[in-house]
Amino acid sequence: MIVKSRYKVVVIGGGVIGTAVAFYLAKNGVSDVVVLEKDYLSSGSTGRCGGGIRQQWSERMNVRLAMRSVEHFKRFESEVGFDIEYFQGGYLLLAYTEEEVLLFERNTKMQQEENLDVELLSKNEASSKFSFIDMSGVRAAAYCSSDGHANPHLTTFAYARAAERMGVEILTHTSAENIITEDGRIVAVQTSKGKIETEVVVNAAGGYSHEVGAMAGVELPTESYRHQIFVTEPLEHIMDPLVISFENNFYIRQTKAGNFIMGQGDKDELPGHNVTPTWKFLREMTEKMPKFFPFLRDVRVLRHWAGLYNMSPDAQPIIDRAVDIDNFYYAIGFSGHGFMLAPAVGEAVAEWIVHGEPRSVDISNLSLNRFQEGFTIEKNVV
Amino acid sequence: MRSLNNLDLLVVGGGPAGLSGALEAARSGLSVLLVDEAVSTGGQLIKQTHKFFGNEGFFASVRGYEIADRLNEELNSFENARILTEHSVIAIYPDGVPVVDMKRDTTEVLMPKKILLASGASEKFLQFENNDLPGVYGAGAVQTLMNQFGILPGTNVLMIGSGNIGLIVSYQLMQAGAEVKAIIEASDKIGGYQVHADKVKRLGIPVNLRHTISRAIGKDSVKGAVVSELDERWRPIPGTEREFVVDTICIAVGLSPSIELAAQAGCVIEYIQELGGYVPLRNDDMRTSIPDLFVAGDVSGIEEATTAMIEGRIAGLTIVEDLTGRCDQERLNYLKETLRKFRSGPSSSKTRSGIRKLGGKVEEASFSERIECDFDSYKGKLRPIIECFEPIPCNPCETSCPVGAIRVGENINSIPTIDYSRCTGCSICATKCPGLAIFMFRENKDGTSSIGIPYEFLPLPVKGQYVSALGRNGEVICTAEVERVARSPNKTNLVYIIVPSEVAQGVRNIFVPSQEAETIVCRCEEVTVDQIRKAIKDGYKDFEELRRYLRISMGPCGGRTCRLNTLMILSRETGVPVEELAPGIFRPPSMPVSFKAIAETGVDDSEE
Repeated sequence: MIVKSRYKVVVIGGGVIGTAVAFYLAKNGVSDVVVLEKDYLSSGSTGRCGGGIRQQWSERMNVRLAMRSVEHFKRFESEVGFDIEYFQGGYLLLAYTEEEVLLFERNTKMQQEENLDVELLSKNEASSKFSFIDMSGVRAAAYCSSDGHANPHLTTFAYARAAERMGVEILTHTSAENIITEDGRIVAVQTSKGKIETEVVVNAAGGYSHEVGAMAGVELPTESYRHQIFVTEPLEHIMDPLVISFENNFYIRQTKAGNFIMGQGDKDELPGHNVTPTWKFLREMTEKMPKFFPFLRDVRVLRHWAGLYNMSPDAQPIIDRAVDIDNFYYAIGFSGHGFMLAPAVGEAVAEWIVHGEPRSVDISNLSLNRFQEGFTIEKNVV
Repeated sequence: MRSLNNLDLLVVGGGPAGLSGALEAARSGLSVLLVDEAVSTGGQLIKQTHKFFGNEGFFASVRGYEIADRLNEELNSFENARILTEHSVIAIYPDGVPVVDMKRDTTEVLMPKKILLASGASEKFLQFENNDLPGVYGAGAVQTLMNQFGILPGTNVLMIGSGNIGLIVSYQLMQAGAEVKAIIEASDKIGGYQVHADKVKRLGIPVNLRHTISRAIGKDSVKGAVVSELDERWRPIPGTEREFVVDTICIAVGLSPSIELAAQAGCVIEYIQELGGYVPLRNDDMRTSIPDLFVAGDVSGIEEATTAMIEGRIAGLTIVEDLTGRCDQERLNYLKETLRKFRSGPSSSKTRSGIRKLGGKVEEASFSERIECDFDSYKGKLRPIIECFEPIPCNPCETSCPVGAIRVGENINSIPTIDYSRCTGCSICATKCPGLAIFMFRENKDGTSSIGIPYEFLPLPVKGQYVSALGRNGEVICTAEVERVARSPNKTNLVYIIVPSEVAQGVRNIFVPSQEAETIVCRCEEVTVDQIRKAIKDGYKDFEELRRYLRISMGPCGGRTCRLNTLMILSRETGVPVEELAPGIFRPPSMPVSFKAIAETGVDDSEE
């Protein structure tokens, strides 16, 4: 079934992370790569996500990683050869509590030290800048104009097609079923279409990262949670930034086509792989959102779906190489913000595989062993 | 001004009757002049793209314009015959017949020994509000524009009248790419042949019986039409008005004989409703009350082209006898006998009654009703299904069958029967049948059946392509793979499709999705066939990938219209059968719903 039974690198997962890793591997001279996707490209978390690209994080190194990604997004079309509807309309984080204001003050100060164009807006400043939002109850807002959003499907296709042009093989409807190790090294991946011998395996399996780790005997501390999202009919462009409230538990953005995409988290979700959307979500969102965005009342909902947040213990990604199996890499546990980090992560993982270390950006804070010590959970997530 | 005093026969009108009469006279050496107002002779034949009914000796199963070509060619081969087009006979005086050259605006006066009037008919018009708006056409004008000059009169058409002309022109409009929204018929039954009606029904055109048009909508041109139901006294029932959004209203409510010249010349005229109105009195030889004046074709009573040709020949032969004292009596008798047989069926009852009123002799003859054929005993064999249930004068199925398996019999109005034990499955009958009422059929071993559908539309599908299989009313029954396409020289091609056996007997047509590059597949997001094809070539080989890449089905309809069509394109481009392709995800809600509507849901969802 498979044309070739041997590849230097096997990437498991045809989402944005897997295809980005494949793209940067080829760019770094290693194109003897196969990407295994059990369904179709972007069928997992990537194709179900909101598409936001933000740099406003609480940890300095995460800000740097995100800023590195934005550098790539800015030149994406020339680098990868594809218009991915990238739009730097900013991110507006609304603070509703004193605690949030303090957190935003601290974060923006740190982010400014990293030369991020972020500012803390007063309620009045925010109101006059974004008049389409009902600012009742807002105390302040953090705004970064170089944040933005892009189309996750197109981004995945862009990496995949560009990687293919450089010789990478992309096998859709092909699942990894087992990872075969010998003497502490992976030697092959058993797939639904046959066995592939390989020197390196990258786990970019998103919602199934834990399961893929287990195939190689590696216990990864990730679990998946359903997150729902829906999209409205298109309206004329009115909303530049992606708007988030952690306190009120929502995010919303307007796509290039004019549709509004929005979602919320649900603390009652249990870990698993269920991606069936629920009425409860739709009901809660349609009740809640027009309070903040009154124009939505008469807008119609077109499609509603769910995807998986592959959560790590601190809600930050795990990018590492297995200690016991040194040809097994993973870029997992993105906790709902993998899309925005894909370029920098893809680049770093590829460099690590090809050159023995990540060169463009420091990702040492994202190693697995951080959980052996005390760690801080990222709170600024929906 | 000059006169032609040695002219034996002047034929007025170059349609099927005039050409046929002129031919008989020319063949016997008479000097013949045929005058026609149009740019070329052939009359209505040149607009007829369908195959003719009738009997093979009189061009049955040949398309109208091809009949015109053959007649014209034959007449042109006689040196003693001359054709003047763009000329018009303006009167028949005792002292001369003036003919106007319409191009030069000059007149020539003739003194022919005999005149054959084959001036045809004109269309009846209908009185309704705004019937003078541009966009209201007679069916003949639509055929002239469309079939003769290649101009489509409009894109959305309402057809008024379900006689053969209304049915045929509706079919031709669809072939030309227009959309016929409905056929409106005042009577409680379809006027034309059932096979013609079946043809338009399986294209999905509804026929609304007991309906009439009450008003055209529009200011500068037709934008729509208001149609009402009629009560038993033919009055519109208030409250039943329906609006059709159309840019063309085509009127096909019948024809009136063009008797102006005959009446003016002094022929005795009678009003005979069954023959279309006023007609000249005439005998079996087509001689009017003026001995040197003959009529043939629609001017002598509205019928159709086959009988017009026979009448023309009868008139021609009689004129030959008048002038030379002899003619081929055997042939004349054969023609009269053929005409009698032709008119002996139930579909000619009106004509018979009209001719009797004229003093002519026509009898109804017995014809054989449908005989049950032993279709089911030959399962697995490719064989025709003949869906011809109405006795009409037509027999090309019989005459085209090379093994004599199909029999219509002595009376051409009889319904064909088939002997499946002799049938070889050659399918010639299916391509010959003017009513497209013969389908090829075979049960396959895998639970599917193959159906060969006579198909006269472009583009033709190709082997392996997926099409929609349609039922007798044009409804979609299932998708079907094209097994093969048998091209026929007469352009009635047979498209063989494979469908599940359970539904096979309901499938009688196909819809071929447009493969034109610019055609829109996803209307919400305006994605074209070309974009999809290009994306497939670029590696997007899954419906969901295509959807995410091109936004197909991301609009308000949620893929209702474009999902299957996209899958069919994907199937065609990749060679993977539709049923093996993943259909993609179906996401709620199934129709767009406002925030307000959901947020104000009445049910208390806190209860379990």
